[in-house]
Amino acid sequence: MTPDQKLQALFAAEAPPARDYAFQARVAQRIALRRAWMTVAALAPWCIAGVAILWALIPVIGPLGDDMAALAPAAVMLAGVAVSAVAALQLARRFSAA
Amino acid sequence: MEGLLTDAELVSRATAGSDAAFSRLVERHQAAVRGFLRRALGGGWAEADDVAQDAFLAAWRSLRSLRDPAGVRPWLCGIAWRKAQDRIRSSRRGAARDNVWLEMAETPAGVTQEDRLSMAAAMAELPPDVRACVALCLADGWSHGEASLALGLPLGTVKSHVARGRARLLKALGGSDDA
Repeated sequence: MTPDQKLQALFAAEAPPARDYAFQARVAQRIALRRAWMTVAALAPWCIAGVAILWALIPVIGPLGDDMAALAPAAVMLAGVAVSAVAALQLARRFSAA
Repeated sequence: MEGLLTDAELVSRATAGSDAAFSRLVERHQAAVRGFLRRALGGGWAEADDVAQDAFLAAWRSLRSLRDPAGVRPWLCGIAWRKAQDRIRSSRRGAARDNVWLEMAETPAGVTQEDRLSMAAAMAELPPDVRACVALCLADGWSHGEASLALGLPLGTVKSHVARGRARLLKALGGSDDA
């Protein structure tokens, strides 16, 4: 074998397989993890905005009396659900995995 | 379905948010990127695969910056090369640091274990730029122009790196210095 042939044989021996599902799965897993963190990061401003809106509404809702105070937990939950739903819709459009 | 698509079409779909299209790109180009990194880094294959994963993740993040969607492979190898350079700089270790994998790997027919070790040592002694040029042009058969594009090096530099690297490797395998 000439040195040139040895060189080519050694290079060829280092070549990875044309298909490697384990490697592809690891890349897909890391992308999914990154996408999840991006989703959390995108959701955070919406949560902060929701909390700020609710906090700003306290002076308006507060004087309405004790009856309204009883409804406060439910209102907070509903607002939270609404904010989450809107954020989820936005994120689904932005990061949809076809 | 996506197996029939061109790289440009897959890039277009992946940019629009299709993970399946990006997975197809990974499937299509993983061997080239990993093979390049195995030779360019010169260390264990596990490290090369780690860098390859980083490169694909970076590619996924910056898919929109790809100017020529048909030229995915040079673009991916360019990203992989920058990641490899970061790894080489941060580790400050020579490529010959870990030869255990060499002893485990199968030696091709007609090549002795001594040849393999000599080749690994010669590759490790090459400067990283030269190693990268050798990996693309000699091992993978890229043209000098493609390698120049992927590595961000002038064409003349790539040509001289390849010639110099080839001569050193052939000498290590028993050839003459000017081979």
